[in-house]
Amino acid sequence: MGPGKRLREAAVVGGTLLLAIIALRMSAKNPGDMSALDRGILRLVVPAQSAMSFIARAITGVAGHYVELTHVRSENEALTQENQKLRAELTEMRRLAEESGRYQRLLGLRDVTPAETIAARVIAVDASPYFRVARVDIDHGEGAVRHGMPVLTPDGVVGRVNRVSGKSSDILLLVDPRSAIDVVIPRTGGRGILRGKAAENAYRCSVEYLARGEPAKVGDAVVTSGLGGTFPRNLAVGHITRVIPGAVGLYQDVEVTPDVDFARLSEVLVVVAPPPAPDTDPAARRLPARGPMVYR
Amino acid sequence: MRSAITLFVAYLLLILQSTVLELAPMHMVAPSLGLLVVLHVGLSSKWTISSAAVVAFATGYLFDLTSGAPQGVHAFVFVLMALFARALSTRLAVQGIVLSAATAFVASLLASALIVIVRAQVAPEGGYGGLRLAPLEALLTGIFAPVVLGLFRRIDGKVDSARSRVGLARGAHSFDPIPRR
Repeated sequence: MGPGKRLREAAVVGGTLLLAIIALRMSAKNPGDMSALDRGILRLVVPAQSAMSFIARAITGVAGHYVELTHVRSENEALTQENQKLRAELTEMRRLAEESGRYQRLLGLRDVTPAETIAARVIAVDASPYFRVARVDIDHGEGAVRHGMPVLTPDGVVGRVNRVSGKSSDILLLVDPRSAIDVVIPRTGGRGILRGKAAENAYRCSVEYLARGEPAKVGDAVVTSGLGGTFPRNLAVGHITRVIPGAVGLYQDVEVTPDVDFARLSEVLVVVAPPPAPDTDPAARRLPARGPMVYR
Repeated sequence: MRSAITLFVAYLLLILQSTVLELAPMHMVAPSLGLLVVLHVGLSSKWTISSAAVVAFATGYLFDLTSGAPQGVHAFVFVLMALFARALSTRLAVQGIVLSAATAFVASLLASALIVIVRAQVAPEGGYGGLRLAPLEALLTGIFAPVVLGLFRRIDGKVDSARSRVGLARGAHSFDPIPRR
């Protein structure tokens, strides 16, 4: 290889590294922004992700039915073909009932959430273990969803909208280390910032700046405080699963397991209208009588 | 032609990676299929270092978009990994199932460490923690490596036979070590 060609090769490699650094700097400055090129690429990616997600769910459904049918056959050899058909139909009905239940819970959540919401279908979750992000497909007019909007399920808070491109949006899950949500422990009234713990062996968060004066216990519920103006107040977030002993300083070190099962996310609600202003009265922060608001 | 086909297959693999967890019994980690594309272009003597870097950048950038990571994180790390693979190929002939899997395992661990370092620069609040899943991700990547690298070798072979028909073939067998100068 001649020196000219070697120089050209080095220039191309250097150029790609420089481009990557520029992209990094831009995304660090404005995390929610996307260029026209990014949006164009996503227009190619999202339909494929959506189709693949649909196929994957169909395959898991068929596999589940197969396992169930095999099990039934081994236990009941004398069953007639009609019985098998009926059982298959029953399985399908149960699946439909479960799906219907999920939608009803979602609708129930929509009715009681003190803000305007729209439903979205999850098409991809956690492609990288170092960035906990879900992609949702929203069958709604473009522009309805914006950066920072909260995302919920009937079980509790999922996260907030990070990037929007056409009808698809990236949801920064609350277990991502970049996520920060103002939370309160209703039993003690202690407030802190819920932050995700990246790439742990399970979906976990920690509460930062939780004052020592209000000791937390394992099993305590954690809900949104409503402060910060993003999340409606008193939405279920998770439960304290570990109080780490030996921490020194002003704050406690606690671990929270989210109420939402992120491995099974399928439908979510995006809060598109701002929630009502929170009650900042310190006395109202103690909520032992009401407990966390769980929409079921 | 070779780059276009490789990028198209990379696109399909990244889509698969972002949705495959629907099928997996464990919902925490997926094999890094994008990294395998980068390893292939970095290790193969059929690719110049500049075209390997461009494909690595494009694959990384596409992965940033499909995974929701900040743009540039995987693009930057994948270009570095292509350089690592090229440096490795001058010293080691990565051939056979075991060596392919072992190389992918080590590369995946290295890539994970780099991603955490770069993430800490872009989003300092995340810190440097979070490498506990790296060995599992590396193991899955190692398991998938022989299949994916074999697929790309076949694609390269097909491209070569098409090129040789018009007198444009270049390079010897894929993954032949690049001669030390």
